[in-house]
Amino acid sequence: MSTQYGFSFAKDRCVQCYGCEVACKSWREAELGVRWRRVHSIWQGRYPKVKNLSASVSCMHCADPACVKVCPAQAIRKREEDGIVTVDGGKCIGCKACSKACAFGAPQFGANGKMQKCDMCLNEADLSKDFPPCVETCPTQALRLGKMETNEKIGIEQDIQKLIAT
Amino acid sequence: MGRNKEQWLIDRRTFLKATGVGVAGAAIGRFPFESFSLDEAMAAAAKAGETAVPTFCAMCGPAANCGVYAFTKNGRFIRVAGMKESPVNAGAVCPKGQAAPQWVYSPDRLKYPLKRVGKKGEGKFQRIPWDEAINIIADTLKRQKQKYGPESLGMLSPARRTYSEYLYRFLIAHGSPNYGHSGICAMQMSFTFSYTVGDWPRAVDYANSDLVLVWGKQPIYQGPAQAGVKAYVNAKARGAKIIAIKPSVEPDVGLADEWVPIRPGTDAALALAMLHVVVSENLVDQRFVEQWCYGYDQLKDHVQKYPPAWAEKITGIPSDRIAEVARLFATTKRAGIDLGNGVEHVPSSNDAIRAVAILISITGHLDRPGGNVFGAASKMPRPKSVHLKERYTQEWVDKLVYPEFPKRFQPFIEGTSSAYYGMLESVLTEEPYPMRAIIAPGTQALASTRGSKRVVEALKKLEFYVVVDVARTADMPYADIVIPTSTPYEMDHPFEVRDNFIMARNRVIEPLGDYKSIFEFLCDLGGKMGYGADFWGGSMEASMNDQLKPLGMTIDELRKHPTGIKYEMISREYENYETVFKRKSPRISGAPFLPQGKVAIYNTSFKEAGYNPLPEWKEPPESITGTPQLTKKYPLILSDYHTSNVYTASWQRNVPYLREIQPYPALHIHPEAASERGIENGDWVRVESPHGWLKVKAEIYPGIRPDTVMILHGWWQGCKEIGFKDFPLLDGGANVNIMYSVDREKAFDPIVTAMSSQTLVQVMKA
Repeated sequence: MSTQYGFSFAKDRCVQCYGCEVACKSWREAELGVRWRRVHSIWQGRYPKVKNLSASVSCMHCADPACVKVCPAQAIRKREEDGIVTVDGGKCIGCKACSKACAFGAPQFGANGKMQKCDMCLNEADLSKDFPPCVETCPTQALRLGKMETNEKIGIEQDIQKLIAT
Repeated sequence: MGRNKEQWLIDRRTFLKATGVGVAGAAIGRFPFESFSLDEAMAAAAKAGETAVPTFCAMCGPAANCGVYAFTKNGRFIRVAGMKESPVNAGAVCPKGQAAPQWVYSPDRLKYPLKRVGKKGEGKFQRIPWDEAINIIADTLKRQKQKYGPESLGMLSPARRTYSEYLYRFLIAHGSPNYGHSGICAMQMSFTFSYTVGDWPRAVDYANSDLVLVWGKQPIYQGPAQAGVKAYVNAKARGAKIIAIKPSVEPDVGLADEWVPIRPGTDAALALAMLHVVVSENLVDQRFVEQWCYGYDQLKDHVQKYPPAWAEKITGIPSDRIAEVARLFATTKRAGIDLGNGVEHVPSSNDAIRAVAILISITGHLDRPGGNVFGAASKMPRPKSVHLKERYTQEWVDKLVYPEFPKRFQPFIEGTSSAYYGMLESVLTEEPYPMRAIIAPGTQALASTRGSKRVVEALKKLEFYVVVDVARTADMPYADIVIPTSTPYEMDHPFEVRDNFIMARNRVIEPLGDYKSIFEFLCDLGGKMGYGADFWGGSMEASMNDQLKPLGMTIDELRKHPTGIKYEMISREYENYETVFKRKSPRISGAPFLPQGKVAIYNTSFKEAGYNPLPEWKEPPESITGTPQLTKKYPLILSDYHTSNVYTASWQRNVPYLREIQPYPALHIHPEAASERGIENGDWVRVESPHGWLKVKAEIYPGIRPDTVMILHGWWQGCKEIGFKDFPLLDGGANVNIMYSVDREKAFDPIVTAMSSQTLVQVMKA
């Protein structure tokens, strides 16, 4: 797989409006309490030289997903053709091993106890032409999605991981 | 102004190309997606068995008007997508807009008119038909008009909305000047700027600026999908320097280059000290001052009292920092001050605003590239106003119960106005006379204005209170009649105008109960009162057709342009001093704003009205430097935020998708202030001021002054879907309005009646 779909995020353009998070919920009719996408507010430095940074994070559809490796039921899969990480609710046993393994807090568990997360709207959109709602609604185009080289994708994953670990 | 569609698409394409991320086309997936053009929205809806209705978002205000396609399925409103064609939002939608269906279908919606059957405050009501409700209101108002005069009726104003002019129309037809403006937003800045520089140069020319001071302003939370936010982010990306002057770090400050943490309510002191620096160091635009300013010499002497070292004690900003910011602003050619409504919540509001207006002017940043510019005009003929301003007389003005601006400055641009809180206060003091009936359309007296403890007493005593709203309000238990109204998604009027853009509103769904729109309520009531001739015989279609005459079209013809009509802008020129400085004021006399035709540094209009001609400093009712004796018991400063990213002012706490993001009223407290008190993140805390106490959650917040705590205003409402109950409205709740002084001498600005939202508090674990 030389190219795959991935999100990218420009932290100097995000204004923490939460439009992406609520667009995701509204368009995918998310149950309450479940957050496929989450906006993080991140503090850096000390008063008065304190900075506030943002990150909009969902499942990163990692180039090398930790969740896939730890799932005892083989319910999670990274698709060869486009790199999208999917979960099969029928196979999931709700053990939450994926949750522990994920650095981005992506796996969510609703009323049915099965893992659910961002699927890049793969059944809803033709990603070669459309953007999912989280991306389209962004007023400053801080959040984007597209095909990218695997190396570039790994770089983005590392940046986000560093940002939210601050 | 938003960019036009073409520009937006070009920008996006360039951006994507530059970042190597895929390029979006116009095709549709299986599922209708965001940011549609009309054809795309219609095609996607058809494919999914849905309907797409082009209309406006209704989740914030004033006059926000983002374009959306509202999708319905089987008559139910299910979601929205941004309207690509709209010059207002260019396809983007914020979280409030995205969550709109939950607001519309909230269990808190009011569906039938109600009549009070229990005691005031008890909340016992009986369902009555619409016509009966209208009859009861009309009978009461007619009786009171005869007995007490028409001025005994007041309307509380919501944030400025399209229906504001209709409220004025009703009051004027009735004969009352008492439109109760809330005094917390926009009109104070508009007033003071107009009487200082002839107009309100609210816009900073971000596209050309090298330096912007974002001062007492949150440029993101109100309308994040709109042009202002893009201008801010793009200016930053272009390399403009942004300095934020506010008590705490919000996301806009997160993007700023520098933060100047200022104590709440001390903006006037900072502005006076900055004037001291630029005057003493002669960093002024000599030619502009000579040609276009009146009273510079008096200012020179006057500001000697306000050196930065003096301001340091009050503002908490080191004096060298004050001098540095003043010098940088004065010496950067393309620089502006983006002033926010933080300065409208202080008893020194008028002085803070005029000191800033003078600073902008004498440093040569008024209506210059990159500076504070006067509004641009478009080629669109203005629709006919529905206001009946032509009927104003001096006698009318003289009847105001508690003028928002002194009577000699009335009416101001919106019309005559009383201070919102002052109107309620008159019920208790009966000075100069008590209001006998108050109508509250889309506003909540107990959550919107300060002094809730007095407001409760006023509502108990008030003879007749009518709540008109889409959902349960904080003061509904005190209403005699409750009139439910349509959300804007349930009505096909009015059309909306924004700068050079006009578009019809379309109905997305039918009303959910026995109610109509607020416009139809006013038309029905007007008819019943005998004012039918002023209310188009009750027809909103006739009303809109009448207003559209100058544009040479009817509402049906406007609807044939589902995404609206955009007129050309008249290209902006700078330095419009000749025309702007001669502008006439809306006062009865029509005298110009600026008697000398120059920037009123030394303000003879204010002087003749008995006020200080030059800006001064006035302490808030309680503050570290004003009332040091209180600081032992109450060592921290408390103030509040007006609005947030997920809530517009005091509404929307009942919307589950939004409430999940911000579930609790959070007190922002610095880590040091918290640890001194043994407080940890998420602890429930008790916040005590000399006037009341709150029980809220502590949020450890590194980006706030250690001597200050802040909370969002407007908390009371629960959210049934996630099991959150209402908070108490007075002590022990989360309604910050109870925390402040409402002392008539100390808490109000003497000219513009802005109310203090600063006090001193102690915070402890609850």
